[in-house]
Amino acid sequence: MAVNYDPALIGRVFETTDPVPVTAEMIAKFTEAIGETNPLHTDPEAARRGPYGSLTAPPSFAVTFRNGQHFFQHVPRFGKQGFDAGKDVEFVAPIHPGDSITLSSHVKEIYEKTGRTGSMVFVIVRSTLKNQNGEVVAHVDHRFMNRT
Amino acid sequence: MSTILDLHSHSEASEDSRAPLEAYLNWLKLRRAERPVDGIVLTEHRQFNGSADYRALEDRFGIMVLKASEVETDYGHVLVFGVTDEMTRRFDFANVRLPAQEVIDEVARMGGIAVPCHPGRPNVGLCEHYTRKPALENVIAVEVLNGGSRKGEDERSEELVRTHGYGAIGGSDSHLVSLIGLCATRFDADIRTIDDLVRELKTGAYEPVDFRPRRKPVHHAVAVEVK
Repeated sequence: MAVNYDPALIGRVFETTDPVPVTAEMIAKFTEAIGETNPLHTDPEAARRGPYGSLTAPPSFAVTFRNGQHFFQHVPRFGKQGFDAGKDVEFVAPIHPGDSITLSSHVKEIYEKTGRTGSMVFVIVRSTLKNQNGEVVAHVDHRFMNRT
Repeated sequence: MSTILDLHSHSEASEDSRAPLEAYLNWLKLRRAERPVDGIVLTEHRQFNGSADYRALEDRFGIMVLKASEVETDYGHVLVFGVTDEMTRRFDFANVRLPAQEVIDEVARMGGIAVPCHPGRPNVGLCEHYTRKPALENVIAVEVLNGGSRKGEDERSEELVRTHGYGAIGGSDSHLVSLIGLCATRFDADIRTIDDLVRELKTGAYEPVDFRPRRKPVHHAVAVEVK
């Protein structure tokens, strides 16, 4: 049995979050939590002289933004059970204090594969993070595995 | 002159690998004494990129890069060497239930060779399918050494080869940079192209080779007195 789904699902944005304002305090808390010491992310003066002209969040800050509250209702499911099979994050542009970040999510890909433990269907949901200027700052690909 | 090739590897073009080709080649260059492979074959899952050109990287690192594919069939996973446009038109490589016998016969008719890989692996290997279905015809070789095998899987593959008289190849099945070249195949002949490889797999002399480090045995327990 081939994996069956509506091809129109692919690429259609199903949810966009409200903008989340980014503050210097949020970045400071994040850098402290992960032990970040790079002055581009911790020292406004040093960052001002750096390549981005002001303080920026560490790249992994991108994964702190929550998906919309209906996100999981829109993740296609196959078979009887599944689990979160990981995330790929592509950092596109730095996030600065003062930015407002929105997430838009769509199903990027659905594919089937076989392995030691049987057949699986993978669903990739991409959340694209944009700032207040509509510039993409990151893509987060959520990988969900379903047992078939 | 002989040639040693890792016949089974996945770069970041496969959805479950994060290994850039450049990093594979750099790793092999740095570890030539431990893993003396002359080249690798990229066998990306369920796809074939006919237009990819790796000559610049080959020249830079002095390591050959050939292209093949790993497809999924009703008898498990199969490496297809010598992929042509005719093959990709004939078979949907993304289909995880390709008919294995048709793949073997049609690939051979179109000038390539299909080699079942990791046959000792549960669910996706020949051995398990042979317990329920008739043996495939026209199989020339199978992969008996696989760098991703778990305990007992390569041994089942060896038994399969003994029973059916198949030829035997080896490949790392690497999805991570550090695993490239751990298992490979030594050919008696000089291989420079995918056509050379297909010809030698069909009619030449070759054997799997294992470069995996062996753990040193512990001969004596040592008691340490703590004061």
